[in-house]
Amino acid sequence: KLQETQLEFQFDFNSYMVEKANLVNQALDDAVSLKEPVMIHESMRYSLLAGGKRVRPMLCIAACELVGGEQTTALPAACAVEMIHTMSLMHDDLPCMDNDDFRRGKPTNHVVYGEDVAVLAGDALLSFSFEHVATATENVAPDRILRAIAELAKCVGAEGLVAGQVVDICSEGADDVGLDQLEFIHLHKTAALLEASVVLGAIMGGGSDEEIEKLRKFARSIGLLFQVVDDILDVTKSSEELGKTAGKDLVVDKTTYPKLLGIEKSREFAEKLNKEAQEQLSEFDHRKAAPLIALADYIAYRQN
Amino acid sequence: TSSISTTFDLKTYWSTLREEINQKLDEAIPVQYPHQIYESMRYSVLAKGAKRAPPVMCVTACELLGGNRLAAFPTACALEMVHAASLIHDDLPCMDDDPSRRGKPSNHTVFGMDMAILAGDALFPLGFRHIVSHTPTNLVPEAQLLRVITEIARAVGSTGMAAGQFVDLEGPPNAVEFVQEKKYGEMGECSAVCGGLLAGASDDEILRLRRYGRAVGILYQVVNDVLEAKSKSKSKSEEEKKGKSYVGVYGVEKAVKVAEDLRAEAKRELEGFEKYGEKVLPLYSFVDYAADRGFSFVDSI
Repeated sequence: KLQETQLEFQFDFNSYMVEKANLVNQALDDAVSLKEPVMIHESMRYSLLAGGKRVRPMLCIAACELVGGEQTTALPAACAVEMIHTMSLMHDDLPCMDNDDFRRGKPTNHVVYGEDVAVLAGDALLSFSFEHVATATENVAPDRILRAIAELAKCVGAEGLVAGQVVDICSEGADDVGLDQLEFIHLHKTAALLEASVVLGAIMGGGSDEEIEKLRKFARSIGLLFQVVDDILDVTKSSEELGKTAGKDLVVDKTTYPKLLGIEKSREFAEKLNKEAQEQLSEFDHRKAAPLIALADYIAYRQN
Repeated sequence: TSSISTTFDLKTYWSTLREEINQKLDEAIPVQYPHQIYESMRYSVLAKGAKRAPPVMCVTACELLGGNRLAAFPTACALEMVHAASLIHDDLPCMDDDPSRRGKPSNHTVFGMDMAILAGDALFPLGFRHIVSHTPTNLVPEAQLLRVITEIARAVGSTGMAAGQFVDLEGPPNAVEFVQEKKYGEMGECSAVCGGLLAGASDDEILRLRRYGRAVGILYQVVNDVLEAKSKSKSKSEEEKKGKSYVGVYGVEKAVKVAEDLRAEAKRELEGFEKYGEKVLPLYSFVDYAADRGFSFVDSI
C-alpha cells in the first residue's frame, strides 16, 4: 500500500529495474537448473545468468501489469525472451559470426566451453524458451498461451530477429545501405525481441487486441530509438564516457543514422520516435504506464 | 508377429504420405526477403532423398488412435523443421564437420557457416509457429497442442538430442547407448508421441507409443551401423568414428542381437493396440522396415 502511494508521486525507475531484475534472475536460475549432461547446462547458465539489465523481461512484466495482469503470470514469458536474447548473443559471438571473445567483460561462451557446446547450448535455450512458456505459465487460458508462442516464434525467426541478422551480415562493407535497409535491420535485429517482450506480457495479462497493438507499436518505436541513440552516442561521446570504444562505427565505416542524416536530424528523429512511443501509452492508466514511460525516456536520454 | 506386416504395402503407404508431406513443407517455407535465409532453410528441409520417417510416424500414430490426419500434418512438418535445424548445426565444422549430407554439400558448405547457424536458429521457431498457425482448432484442443509443443521442445533440447550430440562430441567415451538413444531414439519417440497426443490418446497409450518410437528410432540406427560395417566401401572418416557406433564398440554380432531385441521390444508395445485392428499394421511394418530395409525410395540415396 505504502509503495503504491509513493508511486503516484514519483516513479523510481532505478528501484523498479533492480527489483524486477532480481525477480527475473531468481526465476532464470530456477528455470535452468544443473542437469546431466552438466557441461551443456553450465554453458546455458553461464551466459543466461551473466547479468545484464534484463530490459526485455522488465518490458514483458510491465506490459502484463499495465493491462491488469499479475507479474507472476508473465514471469515464464519474461524468462523466455531473455533466454532467446541470450542465445542470439551466444551464436552472434561465434568465430563464424562476429567473432567476439569478450562480452560484458567476461570471456564469451565459446571461449569458455568451446564452439560446439556454445552452438548446442544456444539451441537448447531456444527450444527451452518455448517449453518454458508452454509448461510454466499459470492462470492463462491455453489459447492465449498458444497465441503467445506463435508471437514469440514469429518475432525471433526468419521474419524477425534472424531476418535482421541476415540483412546486417549482408550489408557489411556495402556502401549503398539506405535508410530503409538500416531501419529494416534495427526493426528486426533489436525491435522484434522488444516487441515480443511487450506483446507476450500483454497477451498473458489478458490485454485486448487494441492494447496489444498499441504496445507493439510502442516497442517498435523504442527499439528503433535505442539504435538511433546508440549511433549518436558513438560519434558524440568519448570512450571514457561510454565505457566502450567510441567512434567504432566511423572506423569500420558502418552505416548509421548520423552518417545518413547528420547529427541534428538524427536527434530530431530520436525525439520523434520517443514521442511516438509515449503516444501509444497515453490512453493507459498513467500510474501503471510509469515503468514503460520511464524506460522510453531512459533509452532516449541515456548518456552511455 | 513378423508375418502380420507382410500383408501391408508399406512402400505405397509411405511413398504417398511422403509426397504429401514434401508438398506441405514446400508450402510452409515460401521465399521472402531476405531470400538467402529462406533458401538456406529450404535447401535442408526440402533435400531430396529425405525419407520423412518422423512425420510419417506422427501421422500414422495419430490415425491409429482415431485422429484425423489433417490434425497431424502441421506437427509432422514441424518435426522435419526442427530435425533439419539439428542436422544443419550438427554438420558444422565445429561439430561433426561433415561437408556433405545425403550425397549433397552440407548447408554451411553452400551458404556459409553464419547462414547455416541462422537457418537452424530460424527453423526451430518456425516449427512451433507452424503447429500453432496451421493445426485446425476444431480437431485438436489447445491444451493438447501445448503438450505437443512441449514434447518437441524437450526432444530437441538439452536433455534430448542436444545432449546426445554433446556426449557424442565431448564424451565420456563408450557412451554409445546414451548417444544412440538421444540422437536417434528421441526423434522416433517424439514423433510417435506427438501423433498420439494429437489424437487425444490415453496416458497408457502415450507411454506405449513412447517406448515403441524410441525402440524403432534406435533400431534404425543400430541397423545402419551394421550395414555400414558390412559394406566394404568404408571411408576413413567413418573409420575414425568407430567408437561412436554400436558395431565399433560391441562388434557386429552383439549389434545384430541388440537389433533383434529392439525389434521384439517395439512389437511388444504394439500389442496394446490390437483393439484397433488393421490400423496398427503400418506401425508393425515400420519396425520391420527399420530392421530389414525391405525397399528404398526412387530418389533416396
